[in-house]
Amino acid sequence: MALALDTPDRDTRRRRTRRPGIASVTLVPAAILVLLAVLGPVLVPFSPIDVVDRPDLPPGGAHWFGTDSAGMDVFSRTIAATRNNLLIGLITTVLATSLGILIGLVVGMNESRRGPVGTLARGVSRALDLVQAVPAIIIGLVLIAFFGASIPSLTVALTVCLLPNQARLVRAEVLRVRGEAYLDAARVSGDSELVLIAKHVLPNSSWPALENASLVFGSAIVLTAGLGFLGVGLHPPTPEWGSMIAIGAPGAASGRWWSALFPAVALALTVFAVSGVGRRLFGDD
Amino acid sequence: MTHLWTRNGWWVRRLAVLPLHLLIFALVVFFLVKLIPGDPVAVLSGGQPMTPEQYEATRASLGLADPIWVQLTTFLGDAVRLDFGNSIISGIGVMDEMSTRLPETVELAVMAMTISALLALALGFLVVLRPRNAVSRVIASYARAAGAVPDFCLGVAGVFVFYSVLHWAPAPIGRYATSLNAPPRTTGFPFLDALLSSDTVLMSSMIQHLWLPIGVLVVAYAPMLLKLFIRSLDQAKNAQATRFRIASGASRPMVLLSVGRRALPSTIAMFGTIFGFMVGGAVVVEQLFAIPGMGEYAVQAVTRADFVALRGFLLVVGAVSLIVFFLVDVVTMSLDPRRRPGVATAGG
Repeated sequence: MALALDTPDRDTRRRRTRRPGIASVTLVPAAILVLLAVLGPVLVPFSPIDVVDRPDLPPGGAHWFGTDSAGMDVFSRTIAATRNNLLIGLITTVLATSLGILIGLVVGMNESRRGPVGTLARGVSRALDLVQAVPAIIIGLVLIAFFGASIPSLTVALTVCLLPNQARLVRAEVLRVRGEAYLDAARVSGDSELVLIAKHVLPNSSWPALENASLVFGSAIVLTAGLGFLGVGLHPPTPEWGSMIAIGAPGAASGRWWSALFPAVALALTVFAVSGVGRRLFGDD
Repeated sequence: MTHLWTRNGWWVRRLAVLPLHLLIFALVVFFLVKLIPGDPVAVLSGGQPMTPEQYEATRASLGLADPIWVQLTTFLGDAVRLDFGNSIISGIGVMDEMSTRLPETVELAVMAMTISALLALALGFLVVLRPRNAVSRVIASYARAAGAVPDFCLGVAGVFVFYSVLHWAPAPIGRYATSLNAPPRTTGFPFLDALLSSDTVLMSSMIQHLWLPIGVLVVAYAPMLLKLFIRSLDQAKNAQATRFRIASGASRPMVLLSVGRRALPSTIAMFGTIFGFMVGGAVVVEQLFAIPGMGEYAVQAVTRADFVALRGFLLVVGAVSLIVFFLVDVVTMSLDPRRRPGVATAGG
């Protein structure tokens, strides 16, 4: 029988043999990204928002990544876009995670109560499920269309898309933690309900949302680019990977691959780097 | 009678809350669209100056002059009769547009979904049964990287490689060659209609045009399903029940069947979410391959600030997703009775 069963000790052995030196290598790409985001606009050889040469020049010589159909330098724009994309991803992750934890805590603690508070909490819980019924890219499309595309509005729209999942993860954990004996112990020893939540429920129930944060970051970056690709993201010539790919797409269909490829590679590398950080922090394989 | 109820109550109750969820969703959509800044009347006039009388007349014709309570009840009443109003820009009924566009997009999503599900099923077993095989290692690491390469990147790369370099795919314009006529409308699903009218020329043109967009969706979203299926297969494989099967001398196919049956529910439970992704992905892919459908409609409605069209679009997408979620719940609960709502309370 070739059906190999994993034994529990094999799991622990794998964990024990992980060397810290190798693990921290996974942080290097993320560190480079942050450096590029901070220093990028200073490092680039050409202005990322101006026409600098003839359009559609292939990579080489002066323009390492070539020029796009308008004549802007693809290398400079790819590097300069790091700041915009990372900034949106980072703020969205922080907002979606902290608000998600807050909502998850409030809903989870009040859901089984009687009276208007309980009803409201159950309503919010249902509403969170319903928001997830609509694809995130469509929610983003609608919100951005009306609030206009800017870094703050993109951040708010993406937070709305990504918050429900975080809140649901925390809510499920709060429901489990709520019945634990140490809460009764704390209650008996005279802790108020607020102190109880802050001291015991919060640290014990927020980990799934924190673990998921690197995934939220990745989704935020992909969604930003997706909205840019659909033509409702940050307006060109603001450097942004999604809109750069959209501008490069017709070119790619006629053989000029460079103006779409490089931002796409940057996007994929960023998502990989961020998931590397997530694995490093939470030890998930 | 009570016996019948205890047997079937779980899905009847689930069906009964569906309209309630739709109502909540409609309320959310109504107020969300209300909150949007900007004046629809100004959008409609296209920035041309209007006299106050004209302005008031336009406002009244859009129903915006009524108190909000009246607006809400009219909106809900119309929605129940499947009347989502007329687009404020083109004047075409939202429902008319939806009834042609929704099947087009759903067909694309369902085709991609079916292929992804079959692939996930086959590859999942391969990876779990032959974990040291080189092929399954590659598949497993791709599944683990699920979602890292977004659909539009894959789409652009696909167009470049298969259209502009290899010439295996036709130009990314439309669902079939522009010289051909649309199939006679029987079901509204274009490929199914072509199949029913046994128009082989049209069908082969559709297959030529659609294999790449569907391939893009499959490559982008199948890993999410696969990742989950591998994880639950692994869990099911290591569970006591498997040891018991092996120990009691069951044949290999029976053991595999038992593992698969226990691993499936949690994967199917993800189907609703993946279907949502597929619809979202279809919107992106439709834009890239210039395929008419919901994506085109949404982007148009958004760029023209057409609030009636957007409201209708959101309602339809939401309703479809909620119905899919309902079906998924029913399927998972029939496969795994422990997931039925009544069971948990009865046990403790």
